[in-house]
Amino acid sequence: MRKTLALFALLATPAQADVADALRDHILPGYAAFAEAAGELAQAAETSCDPQVLRPAWNAAFDAWMGVSHLHLGPVEEDGRGLAIAFWPDPKGLGWKHQQALMAGDPAALEPAAFADQSVAARGLFGLERLLYPAGDLPADPCPLIRATAADLARMAGEVQAGWQDGFAEVLLTAGEAGNTTYLTAEEAKQALFTQLATALEFDADQRLGRPLGTFDKPRPERAEAAASGRSLRNLVLSLQALRDFAQTLSPDLPQSLAAFDRAIARAEALEDPVFAGVADPSGHLKVEILQQSIRSLRQAVIAELGGQLGVSVGFNSADGD
Amino acid sequence: MATRRGFLAGMMAAGLPRIGWAAAGSPDFLAAAKAGEAYELHGLTAAGDSLFAIPLPARGHAAAAHPVRAEAVAFARRPGTFALVIDCVAGTVKARLTPPEGRQFNGHGVFTAEGGLLMTSEVVAEGSLGRIGLWETETYTRIGEWDSGGIGPHDMKRLADGRLVVANGGIETDPKDRSKLNIATMRPNLTLLSPEGAVLEQAVLEEDLHTNSIRHLALMGNRVAFAMQWEGDPAEPVPQLGLWQPGQAPWLCPPGEAEAFAMKGYAGSIAAAQGLVALTSPPGGVLMVFDAAGAPLAVHRRADLSGVAPGPEGLVATDGQGGIWAVEPEGLRLLARHNLSWDNHLVALA
Repeated sequence: MRKTLALFALLATPAQADVADALRDHILPGYAAFAEAAGELAQAAETSCDPQVLRPAWNAAFDAWMGVSHLHLGPVEEDGRGLAIAFWPDPKGLGWKHQQALMAGDPAALEPAAFADQSVAARGLFGLERLLYPAGDLPADPCPLIRATAADLARMAGEVQAGWQDGFAEVLLTAGEAGNTTYLTAEEAKQALFTQLATALEFDADQRLGRPLGTFDKPRPERAEAAASGRSLRNLVLSLQALRDFAQTLSPDLPQSLAAFDRAIARAEALEDPVFAGVADPSGHLKVEILQQSIRSLRQAVIAELGGQLGVSVGFNSADGD
Repeated sequence: MATRRGFLAGMMAAGLPRIGWAAAGSPDFLAAAKAGEAYELHGLTAAGDSLFAIPLPARGHAAAAHPVRAEAVAFARRPGTFALVIDCVAGTVKARLTPPEGRQFNGHGVFTAEGGLLMTSEVVAEGSLGRIGLWETETYTRIGEWDSGGIGPHDMKRLADGRLVVANGGIETDPKDRSKLNIATMRPNLTLLSPEGAVLEQAVLEEDLHTNSIRHLALMGNRVAFAMQWEGDPAEPVPQLGLWQPGQAPWLCPPGEAEAFAMKGYAGSIAAAQGLVALTSPPGGVLMVFDAAGAPLAVHRRADLSGVAPGPEGLVATDGQGGIWAVEPEGLRLLARHNLSWDNHLVALA
């Protein structure tokens, strides 16, 4: 309780308004929503293993994850949690190989503590997708693995939320203060959040769209994210909406960036191609490429406009390469 | 060997005046930096204090420190058309090295133990075939070159006995815009050269890792730790660290599964000291610590970490926000922070 009060006091500090706003209006509520949705999914899995029953709760959890999936700092980076929550892409099919072994193997591996040590590729939202939207017959009753995976996801979601609430939010808010060895100046905290935004837009363009796009001569529609559940386009739109929301909390005055977000989101929604199957034909490929280009332009707009306002840029060395 | 020894003896006998590193404050490291809009070369103590800052005309890549005289060679970024020999006491440019027609510097260089010879990693501009440029160091005159044993040599290190190990990154680049031309067929290697430049031994990776460009090196005695940059599918977990004992096959050292993507396939710098090997990834914002056998020990996070080098008290790392850190298995310990951005590489003085 004392910690929570201290956190609220920090959130009111005007000197860190942008970081504090992002925490109060975007990051903390986003993780709270994800923890709640993952908890509901785990509860639902306790009462039923029927895919028809579980799919709505799984989709709600995935929707909530898309609200925070762009944040690669703090508690989600510990113990491989971020990877385990959403392991994609998985071009070698590692997750499915591990899951087959888990379904056929010693049930002790599904006990919570043991399951937390299983491969990050086998767990999380994508592990559940393979069980709730199976491509073919499953080798064994998936029910114990569904329950174990859902419980593990809820555990991680809770740990990430608690880690932010009880520690990492304060680390960001006290950037530059004595004793903060994570962020040595106030600018470093802003830079960290700004980097999440820039990197996530790159991921949307290069991975979420770039993987199914492949090349014009060799499109790869089968590589679309979460295609089995039909979420590929939905994930992209939710990601862009979450990033728009995140950007707005970092600065209230981003006319060019918000316009670029709106153009990209409108273009994505107009695709009407839920799993990017259209990349297989030339006109569909072109449409997705145009969307990819609009996200890259959006990224440039955000870097210029928001970076200028926050007084930060993408990293000196990370942007360089040797 | 006889020829080079004779040449060095002649240089010593010439008795030219030389000013040692003590006159420059006895730095433990050299590091390039961007301060505001200006580029500088700093001499740093083991505690992270800056002893001098000398203006550079442009952003550099790595530097090489003369083992005796207070001279540093700062290499331009690739494709490099010049390197500057900087007098670190006077703060002046003593010589400007220009590669011969059709050659480009590739960012790194190393002196012989006595400092009589400077070796520079270079490529033939068209085709990126590797060369090691040879420069005598009284007047910094080009005296010859060797074949590096591969395409796109980058870092190189001199073993105590005078042999030279070269990281041939394998990537053919466009001489003008750095674009990569041969990813589908690239085949990086480690090449061990005799003190006279003869190829003694080469090591290559398994075929399925042929797009893992070997770029930076650290020595542990006669064993070589090498750091790689992945040019393949970013979704494939591949190691960024390998170890090579000449005479044996190289072996790869993957991190723990949960950290398989933490470096984003990209190792920027590598260093070894006191039984530890550290790799940095600026795009991943991480520094990974391994033991001398290549087992992963720890992952430390810090945005834009890049430089890492062995100091008198252990490994030290630098970042793009001006931080200088002692690298310990338990964590990064802040030594100093300067109001500037440290560049790619931190260079240790022997």
